[in-house]
Amino acid sequence: MSTKEQKQRIELLQGTLDLLILRTLLLGPTHGHAIAKAIEFNSDDVLQVEQGSLYPALHRLIKRGWISAEEGTSENNRRAKFYRLTAKGRKQLELETSKWDKLAGAIAQILRPANREGES
Amino acid sequence: MSRRKRMLQDLDQDIREHIARETQDNIDRGMSPQEARYAAMRKFGNVLRVKEETREVWTLVWLEQLVQDFRFAFRTLRKNPGFALTAVLILALGIAANVIVFGVLQGLVLRQLEMPHAEQVMTLQPKTGGPFLSYPEMRDVRDSNNVFSAVAAVQIEAFGLEANGFTRPIWGDEVTGQYFEVVGIKPFLGRLLERSDDDHPGASYAAVLSWPAWKNDFAADPNIVGKTIRLDKHPYTIVGVTPEGFYGTEKIAEPDIFVPLANLATLNGASWLDSRNYKNIFSVVRLKDGVTKPQAQAELNTIATRISQQFPKEDEGLTLKLAPPGLVGDFIGGPTRGFLAAVLALAGIVLLAACANLGSLFAARTADRTREIAIRMAVGSSRWRILRQLLVEAVVISVFGGACASVLGWMALTGLANWHPPSRFPIKFHVLPEPSLIVMAFLISVAAGIVFGLMPLRQIFKTDPNAAIKSGGAPSSAGRRWALRDVLLAAQIALCCVTVTAAFVSLRGLGKALTMDLGFNPKNAILTRFDLSQANYASEADADHFQRQLLERIQQIPGIEAAGYANTTPLDFDATVTDVFSQDSTDLRHSKSAFDMYFYHVSPGYLAAAGTPLLAGRDVSFSDTPKTPAVAIVNQEFARRLFHSQQAVGRYFKNRNGVSIQIIGIMGDGKHFTLSEDPKAAAFFPISQKTDTRTTLIVRSQRDTADIVSAIRETIRALDVAVPISESGPWTSQLGLSLFPSQVATVALGVFGAFGLLLSIAGTFGLASYTVSKRLRELSIRVALGAGTKQILQSALGRMLILLASGSGIGIALGLAASHLLSAIVYQASAQDPVVLTAVAFTTIVTATLSVAGPVRRVLDADPATLLREQ
Repeated sequence: MSTKEQKQRIELLQGTLDLLILRTLLLGPTHGHAIAKAIEFNSDDVLQVEQGSLYPALHRLIKRGWISAEEGTSENNRRAKFYRLTAKGRKQLELETSKWDKLAGAIAQILRPANREGES
Repeated sequence: MSRRKRMLQDLDQDIREHIARETQDNIDRGMSPQEARYAAMRKFGNVLRVKEETREVWTLVWLEQLVQDFRFAFRTLRKNPGFALTAVLILALGIAANVIVFGVLQGLVLRQLEMPHAEQVMTLQPKTGGPFLSYPEMRDVRDSNNVFSAVAAVQIEAFGLEANGFTRPIWGDEVTGQYFEVVGIKPFLGRLLERSDDDHPGASYAAVLSWPAWKNDFAADPNIVGKTIRLDKHPYTIVGVTPEGFYGTEKIAEPDIFVPLANLATLNGASWLDSRNYKNIFSVVRLKDGVTKPQAQAELNTIATRISQQFPKEDEGLTLKLAPPGLVGDFIGGPTRGFLAAVLALAGIVLLAACANLGSLFAARTADRTREIAIRMAVGSSRWRILRQLLVEAVVISVFGGACASVLGWMALTGLANWHPPSRFPIKFHVLPEPSLIVMAFLISVAAGIVFGLMPLRQIFKTDPNAAIKSGGAPSSAGRRWALRDVLLAAQIALCCVTVTAAFVSLRGLGKALTMDLGFNPKNAILTRFDLSQANYASEADADHFQRQLLERIQQIPGIEAAGYANTTPLDFDATVTDVFSQDSTDLRHSKSAFDMYFYHVSPGYLAAAGTPLLAGRDVSFSDTPKTPAVAIVNQEFARRLFHSQQAVGRYFKNRNGVSIQIIGIMGDGKHFTLSEDPKAAAFFPISQKTDTRTTLIVRSQRDTADIVSAIRETIRALDVAVPISESGPWTSQLGLSLFPSQVATVALGVFGAFGLLLSIAGTFGLASYTVSKRLRELSIRVALGAGTKQILQSALGRMLILLASGSGIGIALGLAASHLLSAIVYQASAQDPVVLTAVAFTTIVTATLSVAGPVRRVLDADPATLLREQ
């Protein structure tokens, strides 16, 4: 039973991670380590990603055709793989973002109905 | 190298690189190198697990996409039920036709008989003429050869079986002593017949039951061995049961019982075992181990020459050959194999045409979806992904098609196996569907699915998203060149016209056969058959007495217009042929005969009851007896051939025994063995001059058939309850077997004809829609600029009409040429028939109209304003 619950949590996490990766890549192509750092930095270190889990997610996005990968050299002249958002990925990001907004809005409304009343 | 492989190969290095960067960051923040590395590793997590999960991602996403593809395929097919149904139907019919034809071929031709070393078992038959030998000829071969381990004779015979207080007619094989050595099977129960059982008449009254008879008629009684039954009133002891799956050496028969042939005299009323003139038996042989067929044939040639020298009168020019067993040797085996091979070829071609057709259907559909595909490509779908989507769709359709085909094929073959042709003979088709056939159907359908699924391949890989979205379709110049597709369509229309023509020719032939002059009138005539030897009327006087008494009583039934009886009737396949000699001939060898004729023994009143016109002279009469001069009624063909005139009454001819026979009457010509035969000479002899225990009673009446049949049965039962009636019913239904070959041909060709029509409708429709959808934009601009309906239609579909016309023309010409082949099977099949020509032309026009109607409407209904705005 507990494994099932765990799995659901992981899946949820994965979907969110995918969204975060796509959002990060919207700013421009970059390599894996930089993506991890960007997610940590932009969320004020609230989201602590286990950095390894980035790689299955990146491969999943590549297979789905949402991002592409190419060889390149980083700022300090090290060899690295650069990930780039594709047109399809951009579309997917829009879709997922609006879904996420709706979901977040709905949950907020349920959790704080009084606030909403007061505002209006 | 695939993307997946490349990505996974680089993964190790990517992870090393990642950890190195994190370590460097940590060092920059002031950790010691060692500490920095540990922290980086901790933050990264389990490297092995990460690698594992990454590897899994590829498979998982692949599966996920496949599921998506299937869902999408089902959804799009549901949205286009017309397309899906057409495709499934075409595929199902094409494959089912192949499965059925192949199933029959496997059952009747390819499959060996179920017996050990079946390849050594052969049929022995004369090189020319019928499949029969005389008993002494078989005996000569058996006793003087060095190439066969066993030689046996088989005679198929109807018996009255009396068991558990009932008498019922059954069919059995009378066999000689080496029969079970030839077939080489082991008994299921008890023992089989041996050489000693057949040593001399009365040597043994042992009978062996077949498995189905034991199962159905004796309730699978495990203690059956040793029980006594009565065959034609003679007690026989059941000594054994043959194993399941054994049904003699003929593939279309199902004997119930096997008894020694030596007892023929007691069972049949008379024995012809010593006569070389009675060619009545089938012969089967088993080759010795290591003997080849050419060796056996060489020895047979020597034996045949010796026999014909020894008995020049009866066996002049005797030749013997080996033939594959199962279908009465080469007699019906040859034509059956030929017909099935031709039909199989036809089925194969039709399947290919179906695939090509589905290919163009798919191509047309892909063209319709060019915009959708272009959009998907523009947002980053790979070409492979789109192709896979189409392939999945094709596989879904082909699996449905294969399933429908399997069900159809299975039902048809099971129906055929359980079906008894309209005949009193024990004909049964052992064509039970085998699982391998269903596997084959699925393999064919999936192969077909991949073949036609790949047809639009080039189209997809050529698609330039920019151009496609801009123009709403591929450049319309593609519609101006003559493509392979066009040639294929014309060829396919031609092929379909051939099948349609063949179907009409055969249908028309059958229609004619049903209304043609048979030489008798089967309408309102009831036939009742029985064999008095099965009820122990051994002496001719007893049988004659019974028959006359019965006729008298039958004539008293109210509403009877005429009644008579005969030993057999025309078209019953029981008719015998004999030589006719002119009155002045003295050399009575077969080669010196004038011609041969069918002959029957009939009672007074037979002609009236059968509706055969007596053109001159008198009917036979009971005052014609063995003591009075021999007389006969002959037909017009007989008179024409012997006397070259119709003035034959009062003149004479000789039979093979040299007896002079006076002609007392002339009757009309008719059919005797097959409906497609040329006019044959025939003679009716008075049955009172030669009694026969085989009896066919003919009654003509306008009364209700069922009433008459029950009245006849009651009358017979009142006279002798033990007479087993083998059949009683209207003559029209008993003629079924004569119509059988033309019915089979008509049904087979009709199915192919209908299928051909469907194919050409689908093919024409597919290509027409394709052409129209590619040029819809151009055409609507022209409509907007004021082009008339006629001009638009001409430019949109002009080429289709050229294709249709040329294809149909070639097809009809080929069909006319091929219909000559049909005339051998179907009576009076002629393609020169104006009715056939009109029907084919009409069908072609209707088909063409139907198939282009949709696209035409689409062109005419197109609203230029909307179309141009949309695209």
